[in-house]
Amino acid sequence: MKKTVLILSIILIAALVLALFLGNDAIGTGRILEALLGRGSVSENIIVFKVRIPRIVAASFCGAALSVSGYILQKDLNNRIASPGLLGINNGAGLFVLISAVIFPYQSGVKCLMAFIGALLVTFIVSLLSKGTGMSKTSVILSGVAISAVCVSVIDLIISLKPETVADKVAFQLGGFANVQINAVKFAVPVIIISLLISLVTASAMDIMALGDEAAIGLGLNVRLYRTVHILCAALLAGAAVSLCGLLGFVGLMVPNFIRLIYRGNSLGGLVLNMLAGAAFLLVCDTLARLVAFPYEIPCGLILSILGGPFLIGILIRKRKRLGLDD
Amino acid sequence: MIKIKDMKTGYGDEVSFIFPDITLEKGKITTIIGKNGSGKSTLLKSIAGIIPYSGSLRVNDIEIMNLAPRERAKLVAYLPQNLKSVNIDVETLVEHGRYPWHGSMRRLSVKDRRIIDEALNITDMTNLKSKSLSELSGGERQRAYLAMVIAQDTPMILLDEPTTFMDIKVQQKFLSIIENLKNSGRGIAAVLHNIEQSFAISDFIYVLDDRKVASYGTPDELIKEEGLLRKIFGVTLRKSEDPSLLYPYETIK
Repeated sequence: MKKTVLILSIILIAALVLALFLGNDAIGTGRILEALLGRGSVSENIIVFKVRIPRIVAASFCGAALSVSGYILQKDLNNRIASPGLLGINNGAGLFVLISAVIFPYQSGVKCLMAFIGALLVTFIVSLLSKGTGMSKTSVILSGVAISAVCVSVIDLIISLKPETVADKVAFQLGGFANVQINAVKFAVPVIIISLLISLVTASAMDIMALGDEAAIGLGLNVRLYRTVHILCAALLAGAAVSLCGLLGFVGLMVPNFIRLIYRGNSLGGLVLNMLAGAAFLLVCDTLARLVAFPYEIPCGLILSILGGPFLIGILIRKRKRLGLDD
Repeated sequence: MIKIKDMKTGYGDEVSFIFPDITLEKGKITTIIGKNGSGKSTLLKSIAGIIPYSGSLRVNDIEIMNLAPRERAKLVAYLPQNLKSVNIDVETLVEHGRYPWHGSMRRLSVKDRRIIDEALNITDMTNLKSKSLSELSGGERQRAYLAMVIAQDTPMILLDEPTTFMDIKVQQKFLSIIENLKNSGRGIAAVLHNIEQSFAISDFIYVLDDRKVASYGTPDELIKEEGLLRKIFGVTLRKSEDPSLLYPYETIK
């Protein structure tokens, strides 16, 4: 565990440094250092402090948030392909972000709050379908896909009727960090930090709940309380992330499944590793998005979709029976 | 000791089962037998706090209905029927048994560690403590979970059909552990399907039928109750001195 944390921390630091110093802006490494030391020109300061650093902060926190949200959902629903993207939680948050953009334009705080409400609404619907109806794991995922489709249709409708609600329709729908605003970062990042801390503090309850509700209640765990807390955290994390980066998919699926391959310990360790790996992964993807089609930039979500689609098919084929998809 | 008075319980809002007077004593094995749907598991789940109930339920003279979940779990441990094969090692599972005593945040004390080692030892799981639950056989997994509820260190332990999916050899090992727990002063209440097994290991038996207690008593008292077992199970039980039998009882059609 300690070794894995160390390796992932080194990868994250390397990703942070690369993301800071590599870019298609007309500014070299030396000038970035000068700006960091307070000796940059006005334009250099703007690039570093108003563009590059907020983007790096947004990408790393969104990566951690979406990964941990996916990890919590996979644990709670006992389903390894559960993720905020596949279950429609991201699209629910996205829909409410657009609604807030129509009703309260330029209000970053409201945008974050609405994203959370949308994410929470879909999370509770999915959780109810899963626990309340005795639906199979596959059906829960399919229900999420259906909810997602409804949200996407309404999103499309809003964008068609009110194209001014999003600066870049494609960037919003695919997800990315090109249009990240400092105000949005200021609202979303504290929400992400608080949700991550709550997840860490209640991690041991996740381990006990994995034994099943009856065993957990027998051990004296307040299962209903902890399940609600975890669902709230998953929704807050996904909602806050969507308010920053749009409908970024697959992070909450790929990162927790990757961590599962390298770590089989308790939930506390799983959460820490998901935070580190999620942050590093999304930073690398965003840096690639900035550089791969230089001098142009592609949406980060495009890279994630290219990686995520085959990844999902891969786990479906390789672990079909172990995932319990044949129920 | 668990004393139940006028307990009404059931799933959802419907009262399906009424238990007017049940006592489960410390240092004794009490088994609950009956046909499917007679309320055996519901009774244990109500005591464990899994299913809501009305009426009085006292453990060691403490009314536990209004106790916080962790306080209740210091008095009564519950081993469910369906045990999940999660990907954790046996020792971690047994450590979960200390949750009622230390909660989420506190580290395990020397006393906790001693109790965990003792539980592993009683269930003969010390050699398997590093193995993942998913690598264990059904019987070993059952023993691992039993070690967890033993580590809970409660005066009463509830077991819901603990031997149902075990082969006979594994059942014997499991029952001898239960016997040792009883001898150490713990109270055991178990739902069993096998009538011979129930009569062989019990100090006291409750027979449930038609969603209520049909009769109760020691095995010797119940075996004399004419027509009771035949009416419920369609068989009669007879004591036997035959040393070749697994249990000292014979089932007669």
